[in-house]
Amino acid sequence: MSLPDRTGLSRREYLRAVVAVGGASALGACLAEDGETEDAVPGGTDDPESLPSRQHAWNDALSTDDDGNVQLPEHHVLVALSLVDDGEPTDEARETVETSLRTLERAYEWSNEGLVFTVGYTPAYFERIGSPTAETVELPEPTALTVREDPEPDDFDALLHLASDHAEVVLRAEEALFGEVEEVNGVAVETDLSTVFERLDDRRRTGFIGPGLPAEHTDTSGVPEEIPEDAPFFMGFRSGFRANQATEDRATITEGPFAGGTTQHVSSMDLQLETWFKQDSHRQRVSKMFSPEHVDEDLVGDIGEKLSTSSGVTDERIEATEEDARTRGVVGHAQKAARAREDGQPLLLRRDFNTVDGDRPGVHFLSLQREIEEFVRVRNAMTGADLAGNGVGGVQNNGILQYIFVNRRGNYLLPPRPLRALPSGDPA
Amino acid sequence: MMNRRRFFYCAGSVAALTTAAGCLGDDDSGDGPDADDETRTTAENETDERRVAPDLPEIEDPPDAVYVPTHREAMQMLEPVEAGAYALAPMLSYPHPFWLVDGRETERVDPDGSPAVHLMFTLWDADTGLVLPVESGAQIRVERDGQEVGSPRSPWAMISQEMGFHFGDNVPLDEDGTYTVEVTLPPIGVRKTGALEGRFAETETATFEFTYDEDFRRAVIGGIEYLDEDLWGERGALEPMEHGQGGGGDEGDDHEHDDSNAHDEGDGEDTGHEGEDGHDADGHEEGGGNGQHEDHGDGHVPYSSLPPAEDYPETLLGDPETGDATLVTTLLESDTRLTDGSHPYLLVSPRTPYNRVPLADMAISATIGRDGEELATVDLEQTLDDEYDLHYGAELVDVQPETGDTVTLTVESPPQVSRHRGYETAFLEMPPVEVEVDMEVPE
Repeated sequence: MSLPDRTGLSRREYLRAVVAVGGASALGACLAEDGETEDAVPGGTDDPESLPSRQHAWNDALSTDDDGNVQLPEHHVLVALSLVDDGEPTDEARETVETSLRTLERAYEWSNEGLVFTVGYTPAYFERIGSPTAETVELPEPTALTVREDPEPDDFDALLHLASDHAEVVLRAEEALFGEVEEVNGVAVETDLSTVFERLDDRRRTGFIGPGLPAEHTDTSGVPEEIPEDAPFFMGFRSGFRANQATEDRATITEGPFAGGTTQHVSSMDLQLETWFKQDSHRQRVSKMFSPEHVDEDLVGDIGEKLSTSSGVTDERIEATEEDARTRGVVGHAQKAARAREDGQPLLLRRDFNTVDGDRPGVHFLSLQREIEEFVRVRNAMTGADLAGNGVGGVQNNGILQYIFVNRRGNYLLPPRPLRALPSGDPA
Repeated sequence: MMNRRRFFYCAGSVAALTTAAGCLGDDDSGDGPDADDETRTTAENETDERRVAPDLPEIEDPPDAVYVPTHREAMQMLEPVEAGAYALAPMLSYPHPFWLVDGRETERVDPDGSPAVHLMFTLWDADTGLVLPVESGAQIRVERDGQEVGSPRSPWAMISQEMGFHFGDNVPLDEDGTYTVEVTLPPIGVRKTGALEGRFAETETATFEFTYDEDFRRAVIGGIEYLDEDLWGERGALEPMEHGQGGGGDEGDDHEHDDSNAHDEGDGEDTGHEGEDGHDADGHEEGGGNGQHEDHGDGHVPYSSLPPAEDYPETLLGDPETGDATLVTTLLESDTRLTDGSHPYLLVSPRTPYNRVPLADMAISATIGRDGEELATVDLEQTLDDEYDLHYGAELVDVQPETGDTVTLTVESPPQVSRHRGYETAFLEMPPVEVEVDMEVPE
């Protein structure tokens, strides 16, 4: 991939395009564009104990919106990693990984202004090192979860998720981890991952999130002009409401050697936005995204500005999903998926973001939960196969199924921070 | 490698209501559309070379019922493609308006003037020739020169007077050239009975190509066949398109009807497709339900037409109309294969008037009443059967119907399928209808 032509792009557009390209040249371009930023990035800590023991403990370190909902950082990179050597990792390799990651923690504040990140391991990793995961962790191979998909599995070993409000930070952090730069935010890079991991460039994924960002991509094929200017997501509505997210506690493994860790599912999908914005009306988008009642009661507004800390899907609306299918001819994505809640509480902590990887609109749907099985349960509720033929179609008027096309799925274990460096499957 | 140029432009006859439309054959590899120049009307001469879609006249205030549109759509028929248990026939036309349905609301979709085609396909069972009129999440991906054009999409399940039940969408293209379309057909999830039980359980993929160029645009835009303006918006319907593969034969046939005044309202034999007084759905022979079972395999494209009411066996309870649809309602005795043998089966087969196109993705419930009291209410389940085709049915477990009982059919959701012009105002407001049980009625 080559660097984008600066001409005709806004600063933000250009920086996001640069993140998508990655590498030293991208970092250089980023600095040339945004040279002032580095000084402004807050530094990290020399005391690892001061950081939370959960890798996924991001919420307290991130900003919130006016309603108190956690805001994810603006720039995201998913770096796919493949082990250089087979077999049980050596202590030396573990030391290398831990030291490399600590370099980032010393360089950047654990926040959206600095950098937050996780490293997760696939079932393929535990298979490759010959160390099955402890009985307390179910980490299945990723499979197709609907009859409409035939996803490529993430069958490499590990995945780094880097996130920051600064394009330069995610780029430099990635370069630092692979020894491509000598210094990161004033901290010398002495150890890097390159003796342990290879980067799989064709599996590298990037994305963005934030008000107004989707509308800046209307020059991308498949991204229509009709996207509302302030929409934070491609689908045109706010998401990630506090009441609809699992808490970090709820998503955390509580027992066994990986207590304090979590599981991560990452699916990558194409979005059909032309149909969504140019054929469906706002009324239809609201009923398909939330529920028909959201239309009746005018609960949403243009982009979800009327919703504050919740998608507004009440217990009553969740209960009425089947009835809505039969009597309204349409059901909402949110009401359908919420059927999987346990004691009224959501199971998933979503950290998904939009992308134009491959020069078309999509989502990297990243979700954290205590068990992968919980993700599967929510996905089944969202698929609503039980509703198809009972007033709604297989995909039509059946939530947002008609607009999403899953290409990849991956399951990961995110160990607690003390075990994040090449864990064995059962580190008793 | 398929022969892309082996296609048919369906156009020609203006006598759309009274005759089957002629499909002009062109199975040469040559300059297809030019071959039918002589059958064109002035519309062609007015075609702007760069136009991607025609300016179609509007009908003010159409009835809340099936009505005659302003024109017959011209389209290019591609060779049918087989994929596992399925066969499908792709069809291409200019982008044009259609209507989405959610609940009882419609939303008109207009083309935006960019290069695009209205891409359609009819899907049927390769074994029985039965059109499969349910939406189960088919996907299409369009490529040009190995590059995907736009994002994948799930085309809309649609009904049209000419094509019956099909899948379709206005699909944006880049520029002139050859496009490849990959259609992915997931398993069909609705209840399947009879010879269809257990079938359509695999995902299949079909691929076809088409050329988008000036010849295509001229042919489909120039081939539009406008009806006599007096007919626009009148209650009635275009006849199903015939997808014959007769080449010159069809052309000759077409000439016979190439008469701009050919519509003959007085023609008793053919006015089954028209008129306010009852739909006479059963008297209509063209595109009949049984024909479709025989037409496959020789290049014919079956039309989704349900059997007429009298073909339903056992106790026909009635064929009430609601929202301009006909709900053929019958009671099958407990020995029917559609139940486990201990209870009778209530079968409701909703269809359009005139062409008997099945109405999919409805929700219907039935309430059995006796002496003014409600005995039971059951939700009917959408079912595909090789003999009865698409219907909504339920085993009557809690009640044994007797002569004199009433069956009230409540349409909880009208058919959630998109509509071509002439169907968009019908099948929306569908008040409950009642039929009476008469166990003595012979089949």
